[in-house]
Amino acid sequence: MSGVIPYAVSVFTLIGFYAIVAMLLNLQAGWGGLWDLGLGGLLGAGAYFFVLATATSEAGENLIFTPGWPMWLAILGGAVFTALVAFLIGLPALRLRGEYFLIVTFAFAEMMRQLVVNEPNLANGTVGFTELQRPLAGSFAPNDYKYFLLGLIAVLVVLTYLLMRRIGHSPYGRMLRAMRDNEALALALGKRVTRRRTQLRVFSGFLFGLAAPLYIWHIRAIVPAMYGPDITFTTWTVLVVGGIGAVAGGVVGALVLVGITEALLFIPVSTEHVDLLGGSKPFLLGLALIVMLRLRPDGVVTERWTFRKDRGPVAEGVKKRIQTVVGT
Amino acid sequence: MQNIIFGLVTGSILALGAVGFSMIRQTEGFLNIAHGQYLTLGAFMGIVFMQDVGMNVFLAGVLTAITIGLIGVVLARVIFDPVRKQGALVLLFTSVGLAYAIYGLAMAIFGTGVKLYSVDFGASFDVGSASMTVGEAVIIALSLVTVLGLWLFLTFTPLGTWVRAVATNPQLARVRGVRIQLVSSTVWFMSAGLAGLSGMLLGVMGSASIELGWHNILVILSVAVLGGVGRIYGVVAAGLLLGLVMSLSGQVIEIKYQTTVAFAVLVLVLIFRPEGLFAVQRRREQTA
Repeated sequence: MSGVIPYAVSVFTLIGFYAIVAMLLNLQAGWGGLWDLGLGGLLGAGAYFFVLATATSEAGENLIFTPGWPMWLAILGGAVFTALVAFLIGLPALRLRGEYFLIVTFAFAEMMRQLVVNEPNLANGTVGFTELQRPLAGSFAPNDYKYFLLGLIAVLVVLTYLLMRRIGHSPYGRMLRAMRDNEALALALGKRVTRRRTQLRVFSGFLFGLAAPLYIWHIRAIVPAMYGPDITFTTWTVLVVGGIGAVAGGVVGALVLVGITEALLFIPVSTEHVDLLGGSKPFLLGLALIVMLRLRPDGVVTERWTFRKDRGPVAEGVKKRIQTVVGT
Repeated sequence: MQNIIFGLVTGSILALGAVGFSMIRQTEGFLNIAHGQYLTLGAFMGIVFMQDVGMNVFLAGVLTAITIGLIGVVLARVIFDPVRKQGALVLLFTSVGLAYAIYGLAMAIFGTGVKLYSVDFGASFDVGSASMTVGEAVIIALSLVTVLGLWLFLTFTPLGTWVRAVATNPQLARVRGVRIQLVSSTVWFMSAGLAGLSGMLLGVMGSASIELGWHNILVILSVAVLGGVGRIYGVVAAGLLLGLVMSLSGQVIEIKYQTTVAFAVLVLVLIFRPEGLFAVQRRREQTA
């Protein structure tokens, strides 16, 4: 039984990470309406920047960029770098609508991944890094560090939740949803839609960059394959199952989905069935997404329920006034 | 010269994979991310038919196309039809879910290993300064015949006319008595069947692994967008063009950037000519 607790710690750390990322995705995609399939690329940018910025020339003599920054600066730098990447991808992508936005972000994430794979001088190619710096690593015994990380992630889940709740119920959150639901109306009300979307993308990019190192502190390695379509689609599935547009959607989705799929790996199997087990994780993930979209397309926690109190008499009054002005 | 031949072979296979994807986008109205997984299934079905059943490569190809086509129809009825009313984005994410489910199933059944076809490509002959095997010529010919067949079907048969009617204006087609369900089944059958065939050919040319679908879905997306969704000869031309560009780009920049080139082309086309390279009309959603 000694293996159960470390395993549970690992699962909950992963749940916490996905909860944070899914809540951030909800800001960009759920409320902002920017359906980003290049999420993996953004997380990769943040994580790789952190690893490279903290690395010294000992990590690899061939590497171009190894300034050996202190950790706090590297985390901040990673966030700024990710925001920059998000901004640059957004320049062409934001001119396109709906599914075309999604294709371009997807393509950029793949191109970034291939760049890292193909240029070993940039970040060690497919080999990646296994020697990672982790905050306060010296204060804990190597085996106890995971408890600290779980605690850190738990605190960050709460902080992210509070921040998102604040944003969601604020005039800014309402503006985002208005732009998403009726762009023409938002324009007519004087909102600068394109500029707001660019801002939102940069802001979400910054937050994704901040969250990115958590994942590699947990995995304790970084390779390009970690940032393929997998992490993107898993996060999306978490958000859709939990409830897109709802503040708590990411948390609920991560608990349900990551909880189930990771618990499966705990079943001891003989080696000949290892592919069967490996296949069951994506299978269940896919099945959950299909079933959820059919039975409860709004997710476990719905957007409608989340903002039920915001539809007060004032909101109704505003709606009426808009209706008389616009005429629908 | 050798690169041109290789580009044409790759391009033909890509075109086969992308034509069906593009047809679904046009008649069903969403991007089917699971399309890549039909390629994976095709690659493994081909191996099953050839090595476990012991068929020759042509029979295996035909049966693979039919099997995957039927699977495509069943999946459309069971998975996609019930959520059709909820719009393109729900359909798209349902297809992501389906892609994962198929991927997981394929991993459980076929394993994560790489499987090879044992196909004799026949003698090679000279084309100008380069050489080409009989097998490669067959692949190019096959895709040309398929595209010709598709064009004949869409242009001259009543069912083909219905398909084009639904693609242009579903409401009007329904009012005019077109049997939407039949059209939908036909399109799904052809789309998945061609994807299966394309996947098997990719397996023949290289190897079959469960990652095949994920590796190719973006390239297929690129071809479909490049050709202008819904135009068959546009998509075929785009497939050949992209195959050539990827193959010839090896002359200018390093070969490992082939797929990056494909995605870069995709992004550039979306920015500067979102209606596709060969489309006459702008796509409706661009103006809507």
